[in-house]
Formats: sequence, structure tokens, C-alpha cells
Amino acid sequence: MIDSNIIDRLRRIAGNENVLAAREDLLAYSYDATNTWKHAPDVVVLPVNVAQVSEILRLASENRVPVTPRGGGTNVSGGSVPIKGGIVLCTTRLDRIIEINRANLHAVVEPGVVLQDFNTALARQGLFFPPDPQSFAGCTMGGVVAENSGGPSCLKYGVTRQYVLGLEVVLADGTVVKLGGLTPKNRTGYELAMLFTGSEGTLGVISRIILRLLPAPKASRTIVAAFDDVATAGETVSSIIAGSVLPSKVEFVDNWTFEKFRGLLPDETLDSSQVILLIQVDGLPETVEAETQLVEATCQQNTPWIKVAVDSTEAERYWQARRAHFSDISSRAHTIVNEDVSVPRDKIAEFIRLSQESARRHDVPISFAGHVGDGNFHPVVLTDNRDREHYQRALMCVDEIIETALSLGGVLSGEHGIGLEKQRFLKKALDPAAINIMKKIKDVLDPLHILNPGKIWEEDSKIPLNPFRVNPSG
Amino acid sequence: MKSNTDFQQIERFKEDLDRCTKCGFCMASCPVYREERTEGSVARGKIMLVRALLDGEITADEMAEQLDRCTLCLACTENCPAGTRVPSVVAAARADKVRLKGLSFPYRLVYRWLLPRRRMFGYTLRLASWFQGIFLPRTEGTIRHLSFFLSALGKGRHIPQIAPRFLRQTVPEVNKPPAGVAVKYTVGYFTGCMTDFVFPELGEKIVSFLNRNGVAVVVPRGQGCCGAPVFLGAGDFATGRRMADANVKAFKELDYIITDCATCASAMKDYVRFLADTDERKRDYAAYAGRIKDITEFLVDVLKLPPSAYRVAPEYRGKTVTWHEPCHLGRYLGVREQPRQILKSIPDIKYVEMPDAARCCGMAGTFSINFYELSKKIADKKVASIAATGAGIVVTGCPGCELQLIDGTRRHNMPQKVMHIMELFE
Repeated sequence: MIDSNIIDRLRRIAGNENVLAAREDLLAYSYDATNTWKHAPDVVVLPVNVAQVSEILRLASENRVPVTPRGGGTNVSGGSVPIKGGIVLCTTRLDRIIEINRANLHAVVEPGVVLQDFNTALARQGLFFPPDPQSFAGCTMGGVVAENSGGPSCLKYGVTRQYVLGLEVVLADGTVVKLGGLTPKNRTGYELAMLFTGSEGTLGVISRIILRLLPAPKASRTIVAAFDDVATAGETVSSIIAGSVLPSKVEFVDNWTFEKFRGLLPDETLDSSQVILLIQVDGLPETVEAETQLVEATCQQNTPWIKVAVDSTEAERYWQARRAHFSDISSRAHTIVNEDVSVPRDKIAEFIRLSQESARRHDVPISFAGHVGDGNFHPVVLTDNRDREHYQRALMCVDEIIETALSLGGVLSGEHGIGLEKQRFLKKALDPAAINIMKKIKDVLDPLHILNPGKIWEEDSKIPLNPFRVNPSG
Repeated sequence: MKSNTDFQQIERFKEDLDRCTKCGFCMASCPVYREERTEGSVARGKIMLVRALLDGEITADEMAEQLDRCTLCLACTENCPAGTRVPSVVAAARADKVRLKGLSFPYRLVYRWLLPRRRMFGYTLRLASWFQGIFLPRTEGTIRHLSFFLSALGKGRHIPQIAPRFLRQTVPEVNKPPAGVAVKYTVGYFTGCMTDFVFPELGEKIVSFLNRNGVAVVVPRGQGCCGAPVFLGAGDFATGRRMADANVKAFKELDYIITDCATCASAMKDYVRFLADTDERKRDYAAYAGRIKDITEFLVDVLKLPPSAYRVAPEYRGKTVTWHEPCHLGRYLGVREQPRQILKSIPDIKYVEMPDAARCCGMAGTFSINFYELSKKIADKKVASIAATGAGIVVTGCPGCELQLIDGTRRHNMPQKVMHIMELFE
């Protein structure tokens, strides 16, 4: 527990209405979108300007109080769970879109702007910000940058870091730093803005963001294709890209979640297939038509069942079904372990085959969904953490899946980040010298280690391995 | 873990409680979260608090205010990939809290708000005594909470006056079509408290509109309040059940129950979801629900009136009209196209769709009493949408929304006339 004096001082800094300390409020800040981690903070503060952010961090530094920065808290890594208690610094009330500049194709936003609201505002001006993490309806821009978020559209458009031009960041001691600038080209010194992009709140609090924008594509089409086996689906994707079509999205779901497509696809197709691919092409209407035909022709070589959505309403139904994957799979088991590995595209079929073998060996159910176009996969192992033996087998299977991904030249996390969830694999996934550099950077920017303590590379024996739940301190 | 008997109602909606994966899809659409931006105010947060309640990490008292901080607008459910019906969990948790801790509404209002305001209190008492003493004799057991409700709404709010003569005084129990018009249907008209006491002229219009189009209208005298503020707002299921039984009895013989209030209609359809504690009630409430039709739904889907039947009152001809879709009409009853179809088909007006027409206006009955400042902020977004249309008239399908829109437009000195869709017609 922190000194009540600290809470009083926070109230003076941010105002009574922006400080929460009641038990029910603290509990509401004890979780993220994982079902593994839970720990309540001692106090929540929702600053409304950067001066307050700076004062809060100075106060925390002086008193060595842990600070966990967060926005919408929709992450799936445990990253925004205040595992050491202390202060949650929630940026959701820093929610102004300061500028949308159509001529220069840039925008300036505060960290608490919800991604969906940002894209709605951009759409009015014919613009868009491509990264589309599937938490877009709740995640905030600060989190999008701090997690370097991806999403289905990243196959064609890349991830968040490709769009960050500049940041204003508040360091642990309260110093406000401006990094980068307004222009897409900027070779002035080290790329410090990139250091904070994907830093998961461990190096500073992002208080303002300058983003590069793109003109919104004028048209798009969605193609659905069902396949008998995973390998054929993977080969089809490779053939599409080899044919010089780079779709904006290629998404993969396996038959675990076909129920969500009932009524959208014929029953006999759903009953006999193993994999559904959802492919979207976008651009000028002429390009979209030509690319749709090419995608269709390529798919036809490998499957008899293809459908092109007639309009955006029909397309949206398929994408909704895809988005429902996570909730659908979650409803099938008491506990799910959701991984986020990314493998080179030509290794996808092999990765799935080896992962399925692991699941069979450990006798646990496994489902796959993911952004197959860029090799970023979400294998989900279904288990029950109340059944210790089953849960152990599930974890062993997950360990093997990660080993498999790494051995195929893949990475531990494609887009979710490390947080708490993937910490135990970090040593396997990173060069020890790289971890050492990270520690040194942390020491420079946050010498007292008050920012989001216990996350990414920071090991701590007090954090139990594979916990199901850590009781709230409140 | 507390014994399950403490949380009987929540247990009934356990499936919804378990379904939420905390993905946060509810955040962009939750009207309360959009204003407050705190985790406890969003649908996901409320689910987590109820889970904490069941796990004994928190008490019913501690979570009471966050539970009340929900408009039950159902926008979360509409956007939930898992289909979690959060408002059911919230209503159930309110009910369990009331069972454990006693009823706080409307007594809390009386003590904290009404008593210190003598004039208002006297007025309320007079009103209350009218209702109970004269028009609704105690022996009938009909219960009205409107008096408390309206008085509380008066907190600096622009509200219409209580009508000098209530609908049940001006309209007979049985209203037959005029001579020469064949009777196609005989329907019951559930007038709702607002139409009965505040907007009786709307009720008169509806009766004569239906009569003119071959519908005999019965206004059963035994009907009472739909119960929404009592069982959904305050979580008093026991009283709600008595109100439900009275209404079911009053409309027993009628094929259709027509409403002009989306909240009343959806609350009455929800009797079976929340209040059916016996097989008999389950059967009766389900049958009752099946006969309820919103007025626009009845006109379009059952009567199938041609556009020529909708004769716009002379003062509204040539005006630009926009439509606010009440949560209870669109999301709860699924009545979305019918009112728009009517409005688009009338040549005498120009119809404009407002941006975010289906977004909650922030009224939500008891909610707007408990959290008027918050309710106003939610309304301000709606008012901005109205302004964006350039329309001179805003029509809607729920007198509750109507109150909120009247208050919102007046607060911003906007000229728009706010009314029920049926008031457009002669």
C-alpha cells in the first residue's frame, strides 16, 4: 500500500475528479484482456494535460512509487496490469485529436484517443491510419504506439512504427521530451521516437503522437475461400502474392470457429472444410476488380469453394465472424492460452503441422487463427487452469509451439508484446547481449525502475511463474 | 465465494457474465464510458465488478453506484463479439442488491432531494395523493412512480407541465371507428405514464388516427405503469411483478397491445426475462410479450397503411424532419425501419437521417435523476447530431427520450420542435 499522503498529493495535482481510490474503482483497473493476470493498483490517476503527467511522474520518482501507464487496457499481454501495485496512470482523458492535416498527410493526437474514433474522424476527410489491432473499438492511440500494434491490414500497410513521425514523451523523472517531427523523412540523430514505440510503457509515458496518414483506398473487395487442409491454404496465399497481388488482409480461421460462419457459408462447405481464408484487396476500383479476379483465379486452382462478397454489407458479415474468433474460442474452454508467434510465410504450413503434433502429443485441443498473410499466428490452446495436470500439459504444448516458431526463424510475439504473458520465453527469443542493452537503456531513462515494473525483460522471483491469479492488494 | 442464494438473479444471467472476454469492444459504443473514460463505467468493467461481487472481493454497496451508472442502452451487446447481454447482468445485480440491502429508490430521492425543497415536495405530495386517492384507488393496487420521477427530473430541467386533464379522463375506455369505417382490428392501447399524465394530446391523436384507419381502440382502465423504473431502474422485482400481473390482466382479451413508448414496450416484453418466477407467469408474460407492438410497427407491419394514410398536420407541412431512434425501439425491439419507412414515404415533409441516430440520448429514466450532469453530457452529443441535420422537427418513439431532447435543445437555445412521430399527423 502506498502512503495516503501520495494520494492526497495526486488529488492536488490532477483534481479530485481525476483520482480514483475506492475499492471498486481499483478493482476495475486490476486486469487487461488476458484471463491470467490480475492485480489492483493503490490509486488510479487520469491526468488531463501533460503538465499533470509530468508532476505525477515527478511525485512517483521522489517517492519511488511504481507507475503503470495504460490507456484502454485492451492489451493481451498482461502489460497494463499493475502487478506491483502503486499508481495506474490512465491516459483516457487525454483524448483530443489536435490536428488532422490533409495536405501534409499527418495527424497530431493525444494518447487517449480511441483508435476507432480516430479512424472515423480521418474517414470524413478521406484519410486512414492502417494499423488495425482487433481491439480497435477500445484501444487508445498511446497504447497503439507503446505496443507497436499490428492487425490484419499490416500485410500490405505495415505496423504502427511505420506511421510514427514524432512523439512527446514524459520520462520517469517528469522531464517532457519531444522526439521526431512532422515530416516523413527525418535523419536527425538517433531514432529515439522508435525507442518508445513498442516500449510497453517501461521507458516513458507517451503524451502526444504525430502520425503519418494515408489516403483511404477508394474501393475494396472481400473474397472468402474454404480449403480442405492447412497446407493448401498456405500455398494459395503464397501463389496470390507470387502473382503480384498484395492483398490488404489475408486472414485464416480453422474449423474450431466455423460456427460463426453458419448462415454465411453453405453448411456442406463448413462441414467438409478445415480452413477458411478471408482475403481483402483494396485500392482504385479498377485495380480492385482486376486483383479480385486474379485472387479468384488463384484460389480456384486449389479449392472449389470461393465467394466474392457482393457489397460491403456482406463483406462486413464475414469480418465480424472473423473478429468473433477470440470470444468464440474463449467460450469453448475455462482457460485459453493465446499465443502470438510470427513465422516466415513459407513456413506457415510446417509450423501448423508441427504445432498440431505437439497438441496431439500433449493431448490438448488447439485452434489456429491469424494474419496468415504476414505469418503472424494466434495458436490457442484450450485448457482449464483448475485442472492442474491438464493445464501443465497445455503449458508444455505452448512451450513447444514457441520453440517450433523460433526454430523456423520466427519470433515470440508478432503484435501482442511481451508484458507478463511471454516473459518466461524471452531468454530463448532474444540474444543475451540484446537483453543487456535493453537493461542499460532502461537504467538511463528510468534509473529507479518505477515505470511499468515487472514487465518485458524484468525478471522477479516475486512474480510466480504461470500464475492464474494474483489477488488484488486493495 | 458467497452463497449463491445471495445472488439469485445474477445467477440466472451467469451465462452472460461468463461470456465476456474483456476484449473492450464495448468501449467505443458505451455512452457512459464515452463521457467518463473510466474502466468502472464501461460494460466490461461492470461485468468484472459483478464477478468480483460473486467472488466476495467487493460488497454490493461498494459497487452500487457503478451499477446505477448504466443506461441499459444495449449498445455494448450490439457490438460484443461474444454477444454478452450486459444490461441483463446489471439489472439482475441491481435486483440482488435491493433484495439484500433494501430499496433505496424512491425513498432516497424523497429524503435527500425532495424534502429539502418544500414547494416541490408539496407539489409532489399533491400529485401523489391525486394519483393514489382519486384516480387510482389503493384497492386496485395500481402503483405509480411517476410523481416522484417527474419531480426529481425538475432539477433545473426543462420539462413539460403535468397535463391539466389526464388521458384517461379525456378518452373513453372503448373507442370505435367513426360511422362508415369498417373495423379491421380491435387493439388495446397501453398509454404509459408519460402519455397519460404529460402528453395526453398524443394519446388522443393516436386513438383518432387508429379509429380513422379502421382500428377500434380499447384503453383498459386496469392498466398501470409498465414497471421499468421499478424493476429495471431500481431493481425491485417484487413490486415489478405486481405491476406486470396487473397489466397482463388488464389486456387479457385483446389481440394486440399498442404502445407509443418504446421503453414501456420493451420493459413489458422483458417481464418474462426478469420477472417470471413461476411457470404460470412465464406462460402469461411470454404470451403478453408476443402481442405488444410499437405503434409504427403496427401501422407498417400489420395495418400496412399506404403513404396517403399519413396526413401531415398543416403546421408541419413542408418542414424538414429528423428521427431519433430510441434504444428501446431499435436495439431492444428491433423496430428500426418502420418509423423511417413512414417518414420517408410522406411527400409533405423532407426527411433527413441524423448522424448516430441510434446513439443513446442519456435519459434512461432513473439514471438521469441519479446522474443528471452525466446525462446532460450524453445528451449534448445527441443535440449536436440534431443540429447537424438542419431539421426543424425532431421526432422519436419514446416520451422519455422526448423529455431528454426537449431539455437538451432548450439548454442550447435550439429552435427544434421535439415530438412523438405520431404528433406529426392530423
